[in-house]
Amino acid sequence: MAIKDVYQGTRAIGRALGVTLKHLFEAPVTVESPDREPIAVYPRFRGRHYLRRYENGLERCIGCQLCEAACPTGAIYIEAEENDPDNPVSPGERYARVYEINLLRCIFCGDCEEACPTEAIVLGHGYTLANYTRRDFVLTKEDLLNPPEPNVVIRPEG
Amino acid sequence: MSEKQTVTVTIDGVQYEVPANIPLTRAMRKFLGIDIPTFCAHPRLEPVGACRQCLVEIETPRGPRLTTACTTYTTDGLVVLYNTETARAAREATLEFLLTNHPLDCPICDKGGECPLQDQTLRHGPGESRFLEEKIHKNKRYPISDLIMLDQERCVLCWRCIRYLEEWEFKPQLGLYHRGGETVIDIHPDHPLTAKTSGNIIDICPVGALTNRVARFHFRPWTWGPYPRTLQQVPSICIHCSQGCNLRIDVRTDRVRRIVARENMAVNDWWICDKGRFAQGFFHHPDRLTQPLVRENGELRPASWEEALQRVVEGLHRWAQQDPEAVGAIGSGKVSNEANYLLQKFFRLMVDTNNIDHRWGGDVLADPTGMGAIEDIYRADVIVLLGLDIAEEVPVLATFFRRAVRRNGARAVILHPRRVEDARFGVYLPVWPGGEAIWLNALMARLVREERFRAAARRHAGGQAFLTWLSDYGDLDDLPGVTEETMAHVVRLLADAQSPLVLYGADVVRGRAAEANAAALHNLALLLGEDRVVYVGPDANSLGARDMGVLPAFLPGYVPVTDEAGRERFRRLWGSEVPEEPGLTYTQMLQAAADGQLKALFVMGSDPAADGAWAARALEKLAFLVVQDIFLTDTARRADVVLPATTYAETDGTFTNMERRLQRAPQAFRPIGDARPDWAILVALAQRWPVREAGESRRKPRKGQRAARSPQARWTYTTPQDVLTEIARVVPQYAGLTWDALGTSGRYTAGEGVPRPRGFQQVPPAALPAEPEYPFTLVADRFLYDHGTLIRTTDRFARLLAPPVARMHPEDLARYGLKPGKEAVITSPHGEVTLPLAADPTVQQGTVALAYSLPGAPLETLMGPEGPGVLVNVVQPDAR
Repeated sequence: MAIKDVYQGTRAIGRALGVTLKHLFEAPVTVESPDREPIAVYPRFRGRHYLRRYENGLERCIGCQLCEAACPTGAIYIEAEENDPDNPVSPGERYARVYEINLLRCIFCGDCEEACPTEAIVLGHGYTLANYTRRDFVLTKEDLLNPPEPNVVIRPEG
Repeated sequence: MSEKQTVTVTIDGVQYEVPANIPLTRAMRKFLGIDIPTFCAHPRLEPVGACRQCLVEIETPRGPRLTTACTTYTTDGLVVLYNTETARAAREATLEFLLTNHPLDCPICDKGGECPLQDQTLRHGPGESRFLEEKIHKNKRYPISDLIMLDQERCVLCWRCIRYLEEWEFKPQLGLYHRGGETVIDIHPDHPLTAKTSGNIIDICPVGALTNRVARFHFRPWTWGPYPRTLQQVPSICIHCSQGCNLRIDVRTDRVRRIVARENMAVNDWWICDKGRFAQGFFHHPDRLTQPLVRENGELRPASWEEALQRVVEGLHRWAQQDPEAVGAIGSGKVSNEANYLLQKFFRLMVDTNNIDHRWGGDVLADPTGMGAIEDIYRADVIVLLGLDIAEEVPVLATFFRRAVRRNGARAVILHPRRVEDARFGVYLPVWPGGEAIWLNALMARLVREERFRAAARRHAGGQAFLTWLSDYGDLDDLPGVTEETMAHVVRLLADAQSPLVLYGADVVRGRAAEANAAALHNLALLLGEDRVVYVGPDANSLGARDMGVLPAFLPGYVPVTDEAGRERFRRLWGSEVPEEPGLTYTQMLQAAADGQLKALFVMGSDPAADGAWAARALEKLAFLVVQDIFLTDTARRADVVLPATTYAETDGTFTNMERRLQRAPQAFRPIGDARPDWAILVALAQRWPVREAGESRRKPRKGQRAARSPQARWTYTTPQDVLTEIARVVPQYAGLTWDALGTSGRYTAGEGVPRPRGFQQVPPAALPAEPEYPFTLVADRFLYDHGTLIRTTDRFARLLAPPVARMHPEDLARYGLKPGKEAVITSPHGEVTLPLAADPTVQQGTVALAYSLPGAPLETLMGPEGPGVLVNVVQPDAR
């Protein structure tokens, strides 16, 4: 073992520690979720689902169950009912009395969106989906009906 | 239409052998498998050529001509060009035109997924739309009755609905209005559909123009298949009348979504009636019993199954030990053969009593020979309906009856206390309830003047004596409303008939005149031919309950309980003694309960309290009452233990229809709540029944007989199929019939051993009673939509239910100064009810007509235990 080796070893350790020391004083790359600001996601990110309404407040969903049929994991469950003509829930004759999405089954593929003839069901950008009980992973119609941006087509290109 | 001969037709240069003289569309679709698009053509409707969808080119001497295939009949040498450019273009253009004004609301349309317009557009359509213009708007969501919704925009004007109502119902209640593109199908103003089988137009509509208002939006036809929450299509049968129509129950998430007709040419053709189709409210009604109830301190409270079963066994066992004759059981013509079989087996073996019957059972002296085949009605040349309101009681058979009359030229004779709807299809004769035998004897007295019938009479035992006896019964004086001319006409019809058919209802052979009427029908059967006089029972399993021995005097298979050899056979099969004294009938059991002789009663799927105030009072006197039902009926409210049973769709079961066809009704969904199937409850009871110690038996085994094994050892059934297997071994008529052998269209049971006319009987009919105190005769009417629990639980029937009124002839009302619309007090020797009066010219003068199963059971209260033919008085307190 020569003096040269000792010198080179010391230098290498010093450089490595230098990298460490440099990052000690930089801002962290990771984000503390969910306590900090949400991170921006890509526009076509597929997150938590929403059911949209028309501008007059009527629900877009007509309870046709096409999303249910398109869903590859059977995560959607719908019961349709006839609208009361005097007090309609949606335009036309039919609306969804029950609309449930089981997030434990959902794989966020977006097929439901594709299948929807009225652009009622959309996958939003929400990704904070953790919960304490299994039942809470089933989104009911009430959970789904209040999108943060009510009348915006999130991905017009489909 | 003869389909035996075949002819050669050439289609696109290929020669095919097809039956002669059938529509070309049918030949291509059914026999050659060529998928020719059609909308208006339907196998069970006459061709009309309305939709133009099936255009093909037909070679003519002037070259190929575009023609509708559905109106072209197969003839020898017919040359058809199907797949040519002209023909294809014509069909494409037709589809394009149909779609110009068809709305694109498939996502909310109930037909989507089973829609011929969708399917054929994909297969035969042009593939793209060229129309940008606004479509013509017509009525959407337009109710044409309480049960059916019409969407005129979706209609493609194929006329199937119009033709169904004309060709099967003979009630043209739909028509075409306006012209050209504005043409619509519509009801006649202010006349909603009333046809009793109107729902069939929903099934045959090739688009979603006609939809089921009860099932609307509760199903999607395209979600079938082996995936979670898809629509399961269960081939089942209808349990509302004795025809046993085949239907399909569509189930999703263990809920009945809709009921549609299922084809069975031998039973119901392609049709079911509106009761079978729309009465689906009872399956999942919130009032369904979901847990056992036991009485404690005078109140019914929920209990566990174990506690309830133990209470039942203790209660029945206590009375069975004291006096088996004080225990009775009531089965039902509405539940399966399996449940009925186990009920009578339990009570005959465990309780040791023959007090086993069902409503319309031992009290109804009918021969359960059944119709040879339902199709016989088409082969009959004279059809006699005796006390059977065919449109209200067996609506699908009614359509066959009308077709037999209008299309096959059969002549009809309608005998009923009221001028029923179908009286318009033949000769109507009023016959007073209880006076049927007088009429039948007068008829036979005239018939036997023909040598043919005299010869027929002499072929049977007692024939000569009968002819002499009959000569005293030609008098028409006792038959108000029957003249010598009409009688002569009827006699002429029957005398000339090659295959007459007499259908009679349960009320004819029940009550005061039952014996005389049954004897007269017996004798008529011997004159006309044994299978020509047919009993049409009121319930789906009227014949099955009898076959299973839910009768006080018969073991399964009509072995009389008094028959020693027969009992010996059952002793060997069942491993226990069978009681030998005939028991009490349904009515006798209730009367015995009223007298305090019957102490304990087990009621399965029946509601004796609905038999009027007298029956309800009788039930109150019972020491121990068990009710096994799906609703908390008036009887169940009085019970000591209530056992929640399931509907027929929650378990497997078999039913025997009016032509003695055994059909299966498989389980369609899981039982709701804690409800258990009837058969399973009886098995559970039998397994808990205390084992009888050796030497404890009431009857000592006879010399040479092995001591019988404990009967419980044989109650090892785990499925209803196990019970059916035993039935097939025990009941000779059901030999060889297994669950698998029945398939989806059922099998005939054998007719051997079923009680049938043997020799002539001489039972003099009693004269019609007349009492100045009671000037009117009570007439019992059956309505398709009565107030029974199976019907009124469907909300859509609310406005269709039988009106709770007493109906009288307008002239009677005027003569007695009674005001229609006002309440009147109606009294009979058995009770008193208050009901509004209504004028109804179909009711005969001198009678008051009330429907069965009205709220509060007014008819049954007035009738009392006596049965049909009761005299009543009508008083309007404020009118006097």
